[in-house]
Amino acid sequence: MKPPSGYGLTRAFQNMWRNLFPNVTTIGVITISVLIFSTFSLIAFNLASFLEIWEEKIEVIVYLNRKTSINEVESLLEKSRLVEGVESVKYVSPADAMAFMETRLDSQKNLLEGIQPTVLPPSFEVRLKKDYRNPGKIKEVVSQLKRFPQFEEIQYGQEWVETFSVLVHILRLTQWMLGGLLLVAMVFIISNTLQLAKSSRREEIEIMQLVGASPSFIQIPFYIEGIVQGLLGSGLAIIFLYILHKAVFLYLPLQMKEWLTRIPVLFLPSQTIAGILLGGMVLGFFGSLVASVRFLK
Amino acid sequence: MIEMAHVFKTYPSKIAALSDINLEVSPGEFIFIAGPSGSGKTTLLHILFCSEKPSSGQVIVNGIDITQKGFKKIYQLRRKIGMVFQDFKLLRDRTAGENIAFALEVTGHPQKEIQRRVSAILEWVGLLGRERDSVLTLSAGEQQRIAIARAVVNNPLLLLADEPTGNLDDQMTSDVMTLFIALHRQGTTVVFATQSRDLIRRYRYPAIQLLNGRRVNGETEGGVKGER
Repeated sequence: MKPPSGYGLTRAFQNMWRNLFPNVTTIGVITISVLIFSTFSLIAFNLASFLEIWEEKIEVIVYLNRKTSINEVESLLEKSRLVEGVESVKYVSPADAMAFMETRLDSQKNLLEGIQPTVLPPSFEVRLKKDYRNPGKIKEVVSQLKRFPQFEEIQYGQEWVETFSVLVHILRLTQWMLGGLLLVAMVFIISNTLQLAKSSRREEIEIMQLVGASPSFIQIPFYIEGIVQGLLGSGLAIIFLYILHKAVFLYLPLQMKEWLTRIPVLFLPSQTIAGILLGGMVLGFFGSLVASVRFLK
Repeated sequence: MIEMAHVFKTYPSKIAALSDINLEVSPGEFIFIAGPSGSGKTTLLHILFCSEKPSSGQVIVNGIDITQKGFKKIYQLRRKIGMVFQDFKLLRDRTAGENIAFALEVTGHPQKEIQRRVSAILEWVGLLGRERDSVLTLSAGEQQRIAIARAVVNNPLLLLADEPTGNLDDQMTSDVMTLFIALHRQGTTVVFATQSRDLIRRYRYPAIQLLNGRRVNGETEGGVKGER
């Protein structure tokens, strides 16, 4: 005879209720671990979005030879748009450049009095495709653009791009390394907590074996418990993180709030939340699996 | 029902728990395993119950060679074997009825059937009406009767008892023995380990004597002397 289907689920919830304290402890440990991990993920996510905003600003300025005629500009625009890695090209006439400078100087724009726009060279603002916004790829694009004789000078803030690129690289590496370490620590802590929780039920498992329970009869409710604990733990962690995220803004000093309005501080996207919940369930399942294997030897 | 041939059990600490044990128990027989503490009685029962493996030798239980390589369906065999312990091994956070029902739930019986059989077995062990009592409120003798009820509720072919009266007074021992005798009369094979010479003398069932892990041909107070 086999136990009816759904019996494992019923027993898993009965077991959780009967062993409330070890279960609450396990869920608490999962919540804390997932909260640390998701807080880190939230910081990393915001850092990545901040970096993306900066990446958007990376562009190449091409100064045209002053002798370049207006007719030539059109064909140059077309040709430079065809260069690999170029997303868009915008023509900035000397008059546009002067207007831009006036806006930037604002109250000090009288400094520009008597200066004719013709002193400023016409230029192209070359926007690059996302994959080309790094030092190596920019150089490739620039070397292509240098082939045009009408392009007198090309600027792309080489030093800034290189520094920025190293910064991004270090941040991403740190994110993966710390994330990986946190994950390993979490698996270790959760599996040990589950083992402790299961050890309080050593007697029950022994008696189950004694009366002829099949291994799956013993294991399935444990796995379900692990999955439920993982889901509840990670769900609570997400709720706490959301509260923390909101609370940080409530209690920030006014100056910081103003500064932060320029940078959007986001909460985790729904896919990441789903991933964390799923990860919590997987973690709970594997923690239970490791604990069960030890107890069912 | 049981065949043991040249069974040895040596623990990693080099302690020989059993040495060259040969034993045959026919279906429906009642046999005492006698011997002082540390003589190997528990090890022998644990081997028959598949909770320990012999170091060498052959053990056949109910026609199944449990010493063969790859034998994994221990739980199926255990459903045909009931086991009773000196320390009862009951779930202390459950009621008397839940402890018995547990053995039926594990084997997948429907709830109605479980209720019916739990009531019937409680009546048989003389504890009808106590199913909702926590096992902690029961006396030692009553707890042992619940443990026997749990062991036999699945109608096992073989009942192993590891000093089940070791913690009981004379009256409780007598009550518990009545249950074992009744089961034997119903056709269950019973292997009963005990240190008590008095018990063997009183109930006059065949007995084998163990000493330091070996069968000895010394005096057995029951019906049979020496090797069977």
